[in-house]
Amino acid sequence: MVAKKGGNRGEDAEDELKREPLQAILLADSFATKFRPITLERPKVLLPLVNVPMIDYTLAWLESAGVEEVFVFCCAHSKQVIDYLKNSKWFGQPNFAVSTIESHDSISAGDALRLIYERHVINGDFILVTGDTVSNMPLIQALKEHKERRRKDNNAVMTIVIKQSKPSSITNQSRLGTEELFMAIDPGTKQLLYYEDKADDRKGTISLDKGLLMDNASISLHNDKQDCYIDICSPEVLSLFTDNFDYQHLRRHFVKGLLVDDIMGYKIFTHEIHASYAARIDNYRSYDTISKDIIQRWTYPLVPDVQFFGNCASKLERRGMYRASEVGLSRSAQIGPFTVIGNGTSIGSNTEISDSVVGEDCVIGSNVSIEGCYIWNNVTIENGCKLRHAIVCDGVIMKSGAVLEPGAVLSFKVVVGQQFIVPAYSKVSLLQQPVIKDSDEELEYDDNSSGIIGIPSISSTPEKLNDQFGTKLSDSQRRAGSEVGDGGVGFIWSLGEGGHEEEWRHSVAPIPADKLIEIIRTATDELEISNQDGNFLPPSGELEPDSVDNDSDEDARDDYSYFEKEVEATFLRAVHENVKEDHIILEVNALRLSYNLTSTDCASALFYSMMKLASDTPHDTPGELVKNVATVITKWKQLLKDYLSSIDEEIEVILKFEELCLESTKEYTPLFVQVLHLLYDQDVIQEKAILDWASEKEEAEESDKLFLKQAEKFIQWLNEASEEED
Amino acid sequence: MWYRSASCILDKRRNDTVLIPETRPATSSASPMASENPHPQQKQNPDPHISLYYQTRAAHHAVVTSDWLAQAQAAVGRHRDDAVSDNSSAGGEESGNAFSVIDEFNNWRKQPDLAEAVAAIRALASVIRSSQATTMMELEIELKKASDSLKSWDATSISLTAGCDLFMRYVTRTSALEHEDFNSAKSRLLERAERFGEISYKARKIIAMLSQEFIFDGCTILVHGFSRVVLEVLRTAAQNRKLFRVLCTEGRPDRTGLRLSNELAKLDVPVKLLIDSAVAYSMDEVDMVFVGADGVVESGGIINMMGTYQIALVAKSMNKPVYVAAESYKFARLYPLDQKDMVPALHPIDFGVPIPSKVEVETSARDYTPPQYLTFLFTDLGVLSPSVVSDELIQLYL
Amino acid sequence: MPEVNSLVNEFLIKLKKRKIEGSKATAKLTAEVLRSFISQKRLPHTNQADALIEAVKAVGEELIDANPVELAVGNIVRRVLHIIREEDLSLTTAAVGGLSLSAESDNEDDVDQDDHPVLSATAVAAAARSTLRPPSLQTLLEDMPHSTAVPQTSSSGGDSEGKSKSADKNLKTRKLKHNVIEAVNELIQDISTCHELIAEQAVEHIHQNEVILTLGSSRTVTEFLCAAKEKKRSFRVFVAEGAPRYQGHALAKELAARGLQTTIITDSAVFAMISRVNMVIVGAHAVMANGGVIAPVGMNMVALAAQRHAVPFVVLAGVHKLCPLYPHNPEVLLNELKSPSELLDFGEFSDCLDFGCRSGSPLLHVVNPAFDYVPPNLVSLFITDTGGHNPSYMYRLLADYYSADDLVVRRRSAS
Repeated sequence: MVAKKGGNRGEDAEDELKREPLQAILLADSFATKFRPITLERPKVLLPLVNVPMIDYTLAWLESAGVEEVFVFCCAHSKQVIDYLKNSKWFGQPNFAVSTIESHDSISAGDALRLIYERHVINGDFILVTGDTVSNMPLIQALKEHKERRRKDNNAVMTIVIKQSKPSSITNQSRLGTEELFMAIDPGTKQLLYYEDKADDRKGTISLDKGLLMDNASISLHNDKQDCYIDICSPEVLSLFTDNFDYQHLRRHFVKGLLVDDIMGYKIFTHEIHASYAARIDNYRSYDTISKDIIQRWTYPLVPDVQFFGNCASKLERRGMYRASEVGLSRSAQIGPFTVIGNGTSIGSNTEISDSVVGEDCVIGSNVSIEGCYIWNNVTIENGCKLRHAIVCDGVIMKSGAVLEPGAVLSFKVVVGQQFIVPAYSKVSLLQQPVIKDSDEELEYDDNSSGIIGIPSISSTPEKLNDQFGTKLSDSQRRAGSEVGDGGVGFIWSLGEGGHEEEWRHSVAPIPADKLIEIIRTATDELEISNQDGNFLPPSGELEPDSVDNDSDEDARDDYSYFEKEVEATFLRAVHENVKEDHIILEVNALRLSYNLTSTDCASALFYSMMKLASDTPHDTPGELVKNVATVITKWKQLLKDYLSSIDEEIEVILKFEELCLESTKEYTPLFVQVLHLLYDQDVIQEKAILDWASEKEEAEESDKLFLKQAEKFIQWLNEASEEED
Repeated sequence: MWYRSASCILDKRRNDTVLIPETRPATSSASPMASENPHPQQKQNPDPHISLYYQTRAAHHAVVTSDWLAQAQAAVGRHRDDAVSDNSSAGGEESGNAFSVIDEFNNWRKQPDLAEAVAAIRALASVIRSSQATTMMELEIELKKASDSLKSWDATSISLTAGCDLFMRYVTRTSALEHEDFNSAKSRLLERAERFGEISYKARKIIAMLSQEFIFDGCTILVHGFSRVVLEVLRTAAQNRKLFRVLCTEGRPDRTGLRLSNELAKLDVPVKLLIDSAVAYSMDEVDMVFVGADGVVESGGIINMMGTYQIALVAKSMNKPVYVAAESYKFARLYPLDQKDMVPALHPIDFGVPIPSKVEVETSARDYTPPQYLTFLFTDLGVLSPSVVSDELIQLYL
Repeated sequence: MPEVNSLVNEFLIKLKKRKIEGSKATAKLTAEVLRSFISQKRLPHTNQADALIEAVKAVGEELIDANPVELAVGNIVRRVLHIIREEDLSLTTAAVGGLSLSAESDNEDDVDQDDHPVLSATAVAAAARSTLRPPSLQTLLEDMPHSTAVPQTSSSGGDSEGKSKSADKNLKTRKLKHNVIEAVNELIQDISTCHELIAEQAVEHIHQNEVILTLGSSRTVTEFLCAAKEKKRSFRVFVAEGAPRYQGHALAKELAARGLQTTIITDSAVFAMISRVNMVIVGAHAVMANGGVIAPVGMNMVALAAQRHAVPFVVLAGVHKLCPLYPHNPEVLLNELKSPSELLDFGEFSDCLDFGCRSGSPLLHVVNPAFDYVPPNLVSLFITDTGGHNPSYMYRLLADYYSADDLVVRRRSAS
């Protein structure tokens, strides 16, 4: 079924679009634990997003995008997913076939795709999405491009959809709460060359393989592109997964794997969408963001007041407030803008709700204030509660006066006691936190395995789950109660992997100001450097041209090297355009001040640049080099002298020269003495300086004495000379 | 004196031609001329300073609402034996008709929430009952006389006039009557007349239902005067849990606004009282103006309690919609050209202090609001724009 | 029957997904769906008209709910209902007439309806007529508005009405459905030809060397202008581009292709240009019963500009756009907010839309309404395929297209 020959593809590529039904694989399992503890009781794809289960968004989009056959891969809580799909009207839609593939042992997207490969259901190019994707993009164009490429080159196995989205400059994370993503894309062919979603250090420094720069005429590096996790794949992708069993994660293993290995030569391309919307709910932060996008209608027509699927009609009123038909709203309740109120919900007097989503059949008391919260169905909130940027799952009861601080998550049927304050970023569940402590890497995958430890049978109908809870409550009542206030039921999970300082990045709550300040403070110094990099380009800009991306070789530089470069630049300009010395002196002083250095540095820097100039001027024998040096020195010694106010500077110069010989320009190494002598003759350096240097060097370890030995004779001679004098 | 529209003049002339031959055999005390000029009969009005219409309105809607209930009970009670007496005195001389009609009417109109027009039609119905005419034509003439006397007896009550006209209309040309024999026709008429009461109740319900869509959450409604229909509208809205607040004008001189605000407060609708002169001041916070109507005229405009016109003007100048709630039997065949072009419905105004005799007081109690200031009329015929109303009326009476 | 249901469902989904653009297309599709629905519907033998009406109402309600903003759906549903009533009436009267002439001919159950056949016939006719007519002062007493034949039967002729139905069932069963479908076909025909009919009147309205201004793009307007052009009228057209969809560009292209002198202006330049314009001709999304117009966004501004300079503001609308409802709160309820991406590029503004920082509440809002409401007093003339009409007389047109108690379809579904 795979590996169509490029030849015959050519002709029938177009009508192929019509001929074979467009298939899609929908992974109804995120293979991640970001949404715990909620996902222990209900699969992520069934969590309501603006009162509609996520999977409905995905299916509705696929259906309207012209996909004809969808395979829903269910793993964790597969039973719930299948039951939901059965009850919903998705089965038996006209020309939109939905079928489920169930598995209990898959622990990663890799396993899932391998399993699907064995089923032999995919014949032809297919769309690969997860069940938590929200999009309204038309697929026709992307598909066409993909097939075009396939026709030209059979190795173009995959097209991933990207969308521009600028990451926050402060937190280095996208608005979806994911890590800043770096991609290198060939602007011409749109081929993906480099993909890094874990920029390890916050400095935002990444290292590109030189190879990239060499064998690509031009590459553009983006950090403002968002990966929509919508992939158009050729059948090869499945076989690739089967071939390498170690592929688990779609991006981290598969994509990067393909990018690095150049034996197979498989290529991945990108398709950027502009007008239409696409995003994937990866963590609480993106849950919040995408909900707000939906409410602000970026996902049109998948918006609350359009019955795109099954959801009950709600009317859009002034100031972007969506309200279902039967809502018991008290006269004095204030519903702020961009709020969705579900059907059958009643709201008490003097209650304020803003920027929130309230599900169906909730009972909200009076004097409650809710801001930026996501409240699901059948929730009871008694009088005087305060909720800030929290997620409240089905069936939760908040006793009067309870408070949710930002980022809190109440899982199903939790009861919060009176006046109890749920601390920020804490997660409360009826289930004990699974005791097993795995490393993050593992945790990424084994959602259901550790889920099983969480609750006995993961794939059991909700009712069964419930009575399990019932039993659970009976024994755990006391402990639980103590955890969430009197009369409360639930365990407060200890903040899991990543610890607290990571929590705030991905929670529904906006990042608190103090955190931001903190980050800014830590980030300041790097920022400064990059700023200087920006501001202090020398007038003539004769720095050697930077590599393609600025951020790659930012780190190794320190102030002095910058300074040196610029002094050199100034000096060279002086040489070529024979500027007056005092001008140069002015400029160098300016530089010195701006970099806040001493005149010593200036001296050494100038000296360095002179020697460099000498070495750069063409020569073939050491002799000529010495001549060069002589000419340069004689020409510019005044300039140099200007900075040699004291012995120390002169010593500094000698040291610099030494270093020079050792590192940058080796060719001086044999000539050390000659040049030193030259300097002495030009009385740039007095003998005292040399002698001091020598005596200083006496107690250095052997390795350093190299030049000292060279200079031995010269120094002796100097000594004798001094003795003769007196 | 009413200005009559051409159409009315036409059919009045026709009626006269009908009348002239018929009156000779029927030696009636109520001369046909009575229908021409109402004034001679005006003397029946006990208190000439207050138009009868407003006397009853005062009785019904006065802020002091202690006695009218009792009155109403009495009225109901009396009506029973009245009806009996009518049936018994069927053989009485027909000259009694005119008076009995008026008494009858007064009894009916004493009931608080029975519309004028209904009262009128019930009264006419009793005429039918008590008449011993043997042909349709005779019956018509009797009715004509009765209705004319009614109309002339209280020319200020528009819905009375309208009700009479409507009923006469029905009697004189109804497709359903053409072919039946006299008795069945008579019974049909009676049945209709009885049914008319229900119509008036049903009409309010219909109007309330129609107007619901127009009352959106969080809106502010300005109401002027006390109208049962408007109250019904607001009540239904409150029952539908709409969130709205009401601004009530005081409604001098008989302070009907106070009563309305009471009623609304009972429904715990947030309500705020304004003095009549504060309308322009608070118009900017108003989303729509709701008024009832004493009568809807052929121009599509309305005649309503004094002050409606200026409210409509203010609303128009601030681009606020003006909605009128009026049952269709208030559609009257009048065409006032300007404010003074109506029988002045007098109403004494209590200024608290004695007014020196030299000072003249404008006591007319209602004004005419031309159609261009009205947005919609909610009637039991549906939501209508003023032009539709005038069309309806012309269709009916042409 | 199943395939019809699937047909209906497909249409429903399309409506919900906003797949169908433009009121004309919608109207046509609706009519066709209803036609096939009726043709597949099998009817009981007794008073099948009511059965049919009920069925159509049920479907119609769903359709209207699917996209309440697209008024054309509701219009067509009501038109079809009206058609059914009419056909039923004509059959009834015909049948009763025949029956009354030959009262003896039908012998089986002649006993119960002996008394005045002539009367009953006319009574039935009158009753039926009054159900069709919008409730008016005449019908106020004859039988209550909003209470259909029920009191009628109680009062008179009811028995014979039932009788007449049972008597001539055999011919009605065949005829009614057939007639209705015929009528619906005509309706579809009308919808598809309304362009031509409107365009025919172009010459009477567009005169030599006039300057016409239009906003956005409308099939009807294009046809209209081109028709005038073909009649050798030479005139110039200003096209306001109609942001954010810029359909005006397409229109300008087409007009230029047809050899019309065309000028494109920005929407904001309308006021600047209006003084040179002789007439504004625009299309509409829907025309309400009070003569108000639901039109592409920006139209209200044009109308105001036209009024300011006393330029006639002419609206072209096919009959399928006439909506028997009165607008309440039209700016909000009869409007649809499209995706903000039509206005600006998400990527460019994505940093303003980052909810992770600051208060977490969105600071940048983008509102993109699709429609405008033009109040009737700004419209000088409507041109429908039946000719020119004054805004205040729209309800008259409506009266003979729709029957009064069908409005309730919408009302029920709305409440």
